Amino acid sequence: MSSTESRRARIWDPLVRLLHWSLVGTFAAAWWTRHSPGGVHEWLGYAVLSVVALRLCWGFVGTRHARFAQFVRSPGATLAYARSLIRPNPPRYLGHNPLGAWMIVALIVTTLVICASGWLYTTDRYWGVEWVDNVHRRSTNFGLVLVALHIAGVVVTSIQERENLVASMIHGNKRPAAPDDVA
Amino acid sequence: MQMKITGAAFAAMLSLAANGWATGLATCDTGPREGWQSPETLKQILIEKGWEVRRIKEDGGCYEVYALTDQGERVEAYFHPETLEPVPVEHDEEE
Repeated sequence: MSSTESRRARIWDPLVRLLHWSLVGTFAAAWWTRHSPGGVHEWLGYAVLSVVALRLCWGFVGTRHARFAQFVRSPGATLAYARSLIRPNPPRYLGHNPLGAWMIVALIVTTLVICASGWLYTTDRYWGVEWVDNVHRRSTNFGLVLVALHIAGVVVTSIQERENLVASMIHGNKRPAAPDDVA
Repeated sequence: MQMKITGAAFAAMLSLAANGWATGLATCDTGPREGWQSPETLKQILIEKGWEVRRIKEDGGCYEVYALTDQGERVEAYFHPETLEPVPVEHDEEE
């Protein structure tokens, strides 16, 4: 781990961090209350949706490393980055790396599918309709797989770049860019 | 430190996944399936009450019914498969 002195670059703004951990909290709470009566789960679902909606807006008007345009790369560039990982010294991205970026897109889209199908199931029209329930369950299970892969990616990148990226998402700072890094 | 956190997260997720299928909202002390009445019979009884039955599942040894009542209310109601009597849910949902 690097010393506090050397990890000074401010990468994740407060809203990015707040929304990240809010999503973790509301998603986990919605999972825990999935069979609870009394509408708790439904309200948590709306909370999840609000967090994602805010993050989507912030992805267009937010600070540099919060913007989708800054971190979402073409499939070709993403593949090239994936290949570079098996060679020594892959490039270090100060913001999200291309694989992490697509993971963010996948997590957001999946969360929207979970929210939409969950909401649909509460309408008179789709109450008790089996396919809606199935979409809600399967997209949730898929989301949990994505979360596991996301955590695995963060751990692997943390080890490879010798920087605690979980901590960076808490305090917002990273080691400043070296000459070869992608800022 | 970070590995410990991640390990805990994985453990938490595994325990979540292993939680199983019963929702715990209601449990029915049911005997062998030969003694069960068919969900079709239950459906007929509820339709006669004016309900619009959407779906009948099994949960905790009970029949779990998704329906709109004759008042047009969404309900998730439980019935004993042998007696077809309503089974109270842990805490009834208020809509």
